[in-house]
Amino acid sequence: MLKVKKLNKIYPNGTHALKDISFEVKKGEFLIIIGLSGSGKSTLLRCLNRLIDPTSGSIIFEDEEISTLKGAALRKVRSRIGMVFQNFNLIPRFSVLKNTLTGSLSRTGTIASIFGNFSKEEEKKARSFLKTVGLNGKERSRADNLSGGQQQRLSMARALMQNPELLLADEPVASLDPATSHTVMDYLKKINQEFGVTIICNLHFLSLVKEYGTRVLALKDGEIVYEGPPEGIDEQWFRTIYGEDAKEVRIK
Amino acid sequence: MKHRHFLSLLLDTILWSYCFLASHKIIYNKIIMEIRYPEFSWGEPLVCLVLGLIVSSVIYFLLPRLSIGRAIYFKTYAQLNKPLLKRPYIYLGLFIFLITLISGLYVSQVSLREFFSHSGLMGAKRIFIALFTPNFGILEHALFAAIETIYMAFIATLFAIPVAFVLSFFAAKNLMRDSIVLIVTYSIIRFILNLTRSIEPLIWAIIFSVWVGIGPFSGMMALCIHSIASLSKLYSEQIEGIDEGTMESITATGAKPIQVVWFGVVPQIILPFISFTIYRWDINVRMATIIGLVGGGGIGTLLMQYQGLAKWNEVGLLVIIIASIVWAMDYISTKIRQAIK
Repeated sequence: MLKVKKLNKIYPNGTHALKDISFEVKKGEFLIIIGLSGSGKSTLLRCLNRLIDPTSGSIIFEDEEISTLKGAALRKVRSRIGMVFQNFNLIPRFSVLKNTLTGSLSRTGTIASIFGNFSKEEEKKARSFLKTVGLNGKERSRADNLSGGQQQRLSMARALMQNPELLLADEPVASLDPATSHTVMDYLKKINQEFGVTIICNLHFLSLVKEYGTRVLALKDGEIVYEGPPEGIDEQWFRTIYGEDAKEVRIK
Repeated sequence: MKHRHFLSLLLDTILWSYCFLASHKIIYNKIIMEIRYPEFSWGEPLVCLVLGLIVSSVIYFLLPRLSIGRAIYFKTYAQLNKPLLKRPYIYLGLFIFLITLISGLYVSQVSLREFFSHSGLMGAKRIFIALFTPNFGILEHALFAAIETIYMAFIATLFAIPVAFVLSFFAAKNLMRDSIVLIVTYSIIRFILNLTRSIEPLIWAIIFSVWVGIGPFSGMMALCIHSIASLSKLYSEQIEGIDEGTMESITATGAKPIQVVWFGVVPQIILPFISFTIYRWDINVRMATIIGLVGGGGIGTLLMQYQGLAKWNEVGLLVIIIASIVWAMDYISTKIRQAIK
């Protein structure tokens, strides 16, 4: 469903963040991208929904070249790709329900959304997705009153509101404790399996990679150094990706 | 490297020229020669500049340890390992401070003799007695003028809010960096706002009193213009400080630009906006009293009239009313701003 060819990103300050990245993602996959901080993981993910414009290369999403889209066409593509972030990026003062409803902004008129007029259908949908991520009963709470794990689940409900075909997860558990990390990853897995949403997820922890990923992409200094099944990453590969002195940390 | 040499020599030259000019004009002409109105010609600063250049060049190349420029631009000459008073260039700094102090006292005509003169003290006594025995006969009149002032400030603030709100988004760098058109718009709006803000409301009041005539309307316009410029700046700085993650996440849902601003920016800034606005109203009430002095209407105009007639008892009452309004506004605005934090 997604084909990336020779993708390059050079920032204005000269940093060459992505170097000739090429890979493919099939429908229903749970692809995990690993690598050190600064290896280009976040940049890659943000290029896929064009939060960052790539310098060169092509991104083909469902047979459509999206790397050069602009305006309404770009927004249309973005609405089909959900995204969750390391810092959740919710609207703190808004209720859980309203935060979920922001996922339907692309279908709602500008004026209607400014006055908060979301249709009854959207609201029903939002409630059902909140149930999916286990936040039923919390609809009226303010988003900033939720715990970290709950906030990340809320951001998943917001992404689900887009009816996404692809979900990008940028370090979704990096600011959570180990136990909560597992819960959040389980919900991602659920979205992957029950809703058939393809997932591309950036992660730090190798132990989570082996448990959840169907395929792994490892980045180092903006280049792909490993592509294959999670089981394939042995001690040798681990050192290549994370450097000679790295030690694996497991979270149970 | 050459760049630094040039800058430090330039700095030294400016400092030395200043020393020569100040010593010549103030200390020599006024204090030693006691000339009341010394003649001025453009040749004097020019001569001082040349002298400064010569002296600073000599010092720069022969006595580098005395040079302030070297101390600022070159680490090795700053002599950081020595105590402050053992560094030679400090003495030049102290000398410049001393010259400025003497000139400053002289230019602002500080005079203890006049401060404690008999007739002066009598005048002060007379005016203070009058101020502390206010004439309550004009209370009604004064209160109406005070109400005029408060409403004037309120309307000025109210009119300024929507304009400043819209302008602030165009004056926020983080929303305006994506294309050339946006960057140009940003620069133009910033420039106009800075220009407007640098003109004091007092000057605006003078302009508008000619434009729309003396009275509360011109005062209101003056406050409004200045409020728009100030609020836009405060608002846009707040927008520049937002967490851009929320904007990013709303953009990622495929929302339109206006929706991104409404959901990604506005919820984060609404409370600081209210807080700034109330603070601005508070400032506007204070300024409205001053603006009245140049014909902006309200209690300030009244104050001006009684002061011109030397009716100090009436002035005393007005001062009491102005002070209580300012105090009350200050109290209320602080309370409200605390409450919405």
